[in-house]
Amino acid sequence: MGGRAIVITSGKGGVGKTTTTANIGLGLARHDQKVALVDADIGLRNLDIIMGLENRIVYHLVDVVRGRCQVRQALVKDKRFPQLAMLPASQVDQKEAITPDEMKALIGQLKEDFDFVLIDCPAGIEQGFRNAVAGAEEAIVITTPDVSPVRDADRVIGLLQSSLGEPQLIINRMSTDMVKRGDMLNQQDVLDILAVRLLGIVPEDEEVVVAGNRGSPVVLNEQSRSGKAFDRIVRRILGEDVPIPELNGHGGIMHRLGKLFFRR
Amino acid sequence: MSWGGIVQRFFGTKGSKDEAKGRLQIVLAYDRLGLSADQMEALRKDIMETISRHVAIDTDRVKIDFLQQHPAAVMIEAPVRPRRSGAEEVKPAKESKSETKREEKQEAADMPPHATNG
Repeated sequence: MGGRAIVITSGKGGVGKTTTTANIGLGLARHDQKVALVDADIGLRNLDIIMGLENRIVYHLVDVVRGRCQVRQALVKDKRFPQLAMLPASQVDQKEAITPDEMKALIGQLKEDFDFVLIDCPAGIEQGFRNAVAGAEEAIVITTPDVSPVRDADRVIGLLQSSLGEPQLIINRMSTDMVKRGDMLNQQDVLDILAVRLLGIVPEDEEVVVAGNRGSPVVLNEQSRSGKAFDRIVRRILGEDVPIPELNGHGGIMHRLGKLFFRR
Repeated sequence: MSWGGIVQRFFGTKGSKDEAKGRLQIVLAYDRLGLSADQMEALRKDIMETISRHVAIDTDRVKIDFLQQHPAAVMIEAPVRPRRSGAEEVKPAKESKSETKREEKQEAADMPPHATNG
């Protein structure tokens, strides 16, 4: 019996796939799960720097597939949680360096040793996407509440439905203030458009940038709003029934000033 | 009321998200079908030809709509010319190829965008 292989994808680049992969991975490890993170973005390695593990890489994914090393030699152990490991992408190869079948075999091998295998998918819907999806049996789609990521998410959901079944959605970078002003699609709007199950909402949070700077994903910061949101997502993945809170009450300074003057 | 809401009320502005939602719903209807503008036009022509073989329709007013649902559905509106010659009024006929929304759409279709007839 093996672990669960989940691909984290979005279509559009820059919406937070790698950040989400890192945070869910660390979050799961903190809940005592054995987790392997796979950076499938060959040629554009990034998960390592977000995780703060960039100085520990010896071998990478393509080395493993080509038989230049064993999987366990390429896996980089996390410095915070020994039950968490990362398989880095190659920085010198192209997406075409591996095939979906090779990826499937690799993920199958990892599933034997880990409870969760999280696959960080590259942007786009070409070969890199097909590779990343090949070994997974579940999918999480990330979007932000903007028109182009939502459109691309719809495309990816369509592609996943034909191969993996119903994916779950994370809405990233939701701004409470903009939603209140009616200048940002809210949770219900996005769900009306995409018609998928919602796994969680992550609020816009400067702490995510700070966490990236430090190589210490925000889920480790229990004071941060986004960190708490990621932890709720992790608990939902583990089967806990955690309600999704409506984003409110954390307005910016203008909002607080408004409250002060208008008493509501 | 939020500060943003107050500003909006004061200046009489409306948030942009409704526009985003509307535009996305239209663009996704096309995306989901995987049809280009040319293919759409070809579909329109074929449909008009097929219907015209059986009834006289007002070809300028044929409309093709996509219903937001899973799976997506196509609704065709083809106003039929009345048989008695001389009558100006054009009565719309509906051909709905929807699985579930047929009844609802029928209601909406009872109020077609009337052409002004003098």
